[in-house]
Amino acid sequence: MGIDVKNLHPLEVRLLRFAEAGKDITAQLLTDGLHYNIGQCNQSFSWLCGRGCLEETGRQQKIVYEITETGRQQAESGTPVERIFLLLKADGPHTLPQIASRLGLEQADVGSSFGQLLKAKAASMNAEKQACVAPDAVLPEETQVLASLLRAAADRPDGCLVDLELDEQQKRVIAANAKKRGAAQSPFKSAEREEITYRLTETGIQTRQAVIDSNITGDELAELTPQIIASGAWKTSSFRPYSVNAPVSRLVPGRLNPYGEYLQWVKDKLCALGFEEFDGPLVENEFWNGDALFMPQFHSARDIHDVYYVKEPRHCREIEQPWLDNVARTHEDGADTGSRGWGYHFDHEFTRRQVLRSQGTVLSAHQLTKARVPGKYFGIVRCFRYDEVNATHGADFYQTEGIVLGEDVNLRSLLGLLKMFATEIAGAEEVKYVPGYFPFTEPSIEVHIKHPVLGWFELGGSGIFRPEVTRPLGIDVPVLAWGLGIDRMALMHLGLNDLRELFSPNIDSVRTRRGN
Amino acid sequence: MPKIETTESLFFGLMGRTIDDAGLEAILPRAKAELDEHDAAQKVIKFELNDTNRPDLWSAAGLARQLKTYESAQVPLYDFFSTPQCTMDNGGRTFICHKEAAPVRAFSLGFAASGCTVTEDILLALIQSQEKLCFNFGRKRRTIAMGIYRSDLIKFPVHYTGADPDRTRFTPLGMTEELSLREILKKHPKGQEYGYIVADKPVYPYLCDDNGDTLSFPPVINSARIGAVEVGDSNLFVEMSGPELKDLILCASIMACDMADLGFEILPVKVIFETPNPFGSELTIPYYYQKPAFCTKSKLARVSGLALSDEQIVKALARMGVHAVTDSDNVYATVPEYRDDFLHEVDLIEDVIIGHGLENFTPVMNLDFTIGRLSPAEELSRKVKDIMVGLGFQEMMYNYLGSKKEYCDRMNISDEKAIHIANPMSENYEMVRPSILPCLLESESVSGHAVYPHCIFEVGKVAYLCPEDNSGTVTRNSLGFFASDSRIGFNQVSSYENTLMYFLRKEYTLQALENDPRFIEGRCASIICDGKTVGCFGEINPAVLENWGCSMPSIACEIDLDALL
Repeated sequence: MGIDVKNLHPLEVRLLRFAEAGKDITAQLLTDGLHYNIGQCNQSFSWLCGRGCLEETGRQQKIVYEITETGRQQAESGTPVERIFLLLKADGPHTLPQIASRLGLEQADVGSSFGQLLKAKAASMNAEKQACVAPDAVLPEETQVLASLLRAAADRPDGCLVDLELDEQQKRVIAANAKKRGAAQSPFKSAEREEITYRLTETGIQTRQAVIDSNITGDELAELTPQIIASGAWKTSSFRPYSVNAPVSRLVPGRLNPYGEYLQWVKDKLCALGFEEFDGPLVENEFWNGDALFMPQFHSARDIHDVYYVKEPRHCREIEQPWLDNVARTHEDGADTGSRGWGYHFDHEFTRRQVLRSQGTVLSAHQLTKARVPGKYFGIVRCFRYDEVNATHGADFYQTEGIVLGEDVNLRSLLGLLKMFATEIAGAEEVKYVPGYFPFTEPSIEVHIKHPVLGWFELGGSGIFRPEVTRPLGIDVPVLAWGLGIDRMALMHLGLNDLRELFSPNIDSVRTRRGN
Repeated sequence: MPKIETTESLFFGLMGRTIDDAGLEAILPRAKAELDEHDAAQKVIKFELNDTNRPDLWSAAGLARQLKTYESAQVPLYDFFSTPQCTMDNGGRTFICHKEAAPVRAFSLGFAASGCTVTEDILLALIQSQEKLCFNFGRKRRTIAMGIYRSDLIKFPVHYTGADPDRTRFTPLGMTEELSLREILKKHPKGQEYGYIVADKPVYPYLCDDNGDTLSFPPVINSARIGAVEVGDSNLFVEMSGPELKDLILCASIMACDMADLGFEILPVKVIFETPNPFGSELTIPYYYQKPAFCTKSKLARVSGLALSDEQIVKALARMGVHAVTDSDNVYATVPEYRDDFLHEVDLIEDVIIGHGLENFTPVMNLDFTIGRLSPAEELSRKVKDIMVGLGFQEMMYNYLGSKKEYCDRMNISDEKAIHIANPMSENYEMVRPSILPCLLESESVSGHAVYPHCIFEVGKVAYLCPEDNSGTVTRNSLGFFASDSRIGFNQVSSYENTLMYFLRKEYTLQALENDPRFIEGRCASIICDGKTVGCFGEINPAVLENWGCSMPSIACEIDLDALL
């Protein structure tokens, strides 16, 4: 048997205990025997049928007469006909207005009730236009029947009488005193209902036995309340057991964005590895975005089609000195960097042209002007590229970049650093280094890793800053520069495959998103 | 990054052997190249070249040369270069670069080649070299344009000059009628594409032979006769034009070495320059102008972290095509004819490193002690996020670029403080967000199906115009939060703000916020800390909700976190 009796609702438990094998159960029986209201009847039938404990054995149309508030008053103090009859009998003839005022009835009601007495020949009108009854007159039979029906209905817990239980005369009387709608003034309200009979199935019989065997009565405490604790009632009662596997409702908690959490995790990792965070404004100028990185002003990556230009103000007011002069000279002839430079005339207007930061390395360059030696710095910063927006390119995206300054850093310590990133941040199984090209580093190294899930891919680019980058910005020690492509790992971490999803505005999608 | 395409037959022919894809992937990093695609059915291979300073690698011949040299450690020899000391026989071929061209495009030069019949493969290779060198290295023909001609039809000397745009006429390649130079700019597709380089000049560049037959209108289009090289031709003339003579000499050297590798005999041409230049009035092309490169062994050891022997250094450089000698602490290198990328000694050092093999440098850990630290803004941002999450809010993250419609129009505010992009790719990304609130409203507008209440926030950057700053703009770290439900209002947002400020230990006062159309008048406030306005909050104006197609009452708040630091 598959039903865990702990899953049963108290209404179901009580019904099962009440039902007997082989006998019909109806809503009426539950109402009378267990004092269920009609809603509780329907609910417990529906649940137990769903569990296969009950089966329907028949349906019958019936008319239910429910006593109204007017009916209850009449059951208490008599119907208007009854009261008029008793008044006349006790105190002699009265005019109709006199009756109305003595009994507190409406004139119209007095009229119609007296009409009924007249019709039944239980009362008459004398010459003085007074209503009177003969000393030996008895109440009309129908009035007596109605009075008994009212008392019967008022005694029922649900205040209802059903036509099937009534004889022909009772049916006629009750029908005459009931209305389907707007029954406020009538003693009964009538409604047609379908009565369904049920019986315990084999499963039902077994479940019933299981309920009895486990001593569940349906009267267990449903919840612990302050009152129960205060009264100590829990000491003599037991608690209704809950099924631990019942379905639960969904909660919407406050949460961090899982992509943001991942970025925080990377930041924490980098801090743990001794890096200090840097940040900067979204609007840059050509000087820091390219010139300071020794990218010649005519470099193809600095084309109008690669960088977003700021419409207004087109130019910043000035570039900080001595960096401007140092960098300009280095571009032109190498200045004192040991380089021959690019050999062109540095454009001092172009260098002030404002752009949206297109690479995180810009902030590494800024950092050089205020860096300590030894020093390690990083930033996870938003960058902007002039690119078609699709699954692999966003209009703006995060870049993870950093630098290491030290008297003794070199290619081998760069490889060591990359290996550390590969293991600590990417969980790589194998690492491979290949020569790369970046305008601002020489030598330049790409690091490829074998990721346990993604397989081989390029984790990042790196190198040693060219002296043409560092020396004009006041740094005379070697500087390792690195950038990591972490979005790919972030997508994997979040189970996504479209970069645009990282910045999804969809609340439900973000609410349910989880990191791995 | 330039990409090139070559047939298997041409590339493997140049390599002298067939190599499978795994083999290619293993050796390509030596040339900073990657296998982009190998279409086995079409027998075509595509490579991506990462080094933008090595245009010599942007052809099948150049790439194969580097890969073969790396394996053999034999520096290839080219015997057709003139040098400052020694001029090769020009065989009577002369090219006059007239001073009339100076106002428009000062220089042009060329060399001839013969002895090899142009096949389909070779023709495609030549066209590709021309495209890559002129487009990528020559900045879309602005600094280098190249033409290849049938030298059988040319009567030397060839003349490069500045010509009258209207009176000079010829039939351009791909057309049948004779047009003036100015007409070509309007009517020929190449004229429409590249005409802007010369359009506003008084004279246009013009190349013709001694009979006056047109070779080309550089940098736009060849002539239909001399300039129409076809399969089967074997005698060619190659010409480059541009404003910088050095670029042209290097480009001619690259083309000459490539063509020599393809089987051509290179025939030098004497070029006479009427326009003053650093190289003098006469050069025989191809011409070797490069100065030796130099580095010290101590610097090499400091950069690479490894002390290599003289032998190892010389061999490593030979693999990169660089002939070198050493003495005491010095390494002197002869720069290959086809390269000019040694700006600094670190460039030579990198060649030693690649030539020696990266795999031979074992990683070490740098042991300098440094302290890791988050930025103050990040520390505050994390505190704020903690509180917002505790208040039941979901953190969102948004793009920083968007449209005027979203950031301004739908918020019923003007765009006068917003930073516009001068060259937007689409109107969806035309400005930087001046506030987080529109992003939060966008979320609300696309999330009507999500269970209410909606409580969302973001800590991120906003940027807007700020005349006091050097850049005229300012970027700020900002908190925006937003909530919507069937019953929500000013009291809730005020409570949220109060709780947040309490836990941030910030004293503040509130002032009724007036004339902010984003909020309901009389139900919004400014937050004042230390006498400065640091943010605002209130009930979102139903007019704004309607603009966004939102149907739930909403509240929102934005606080400048940098102002709280």
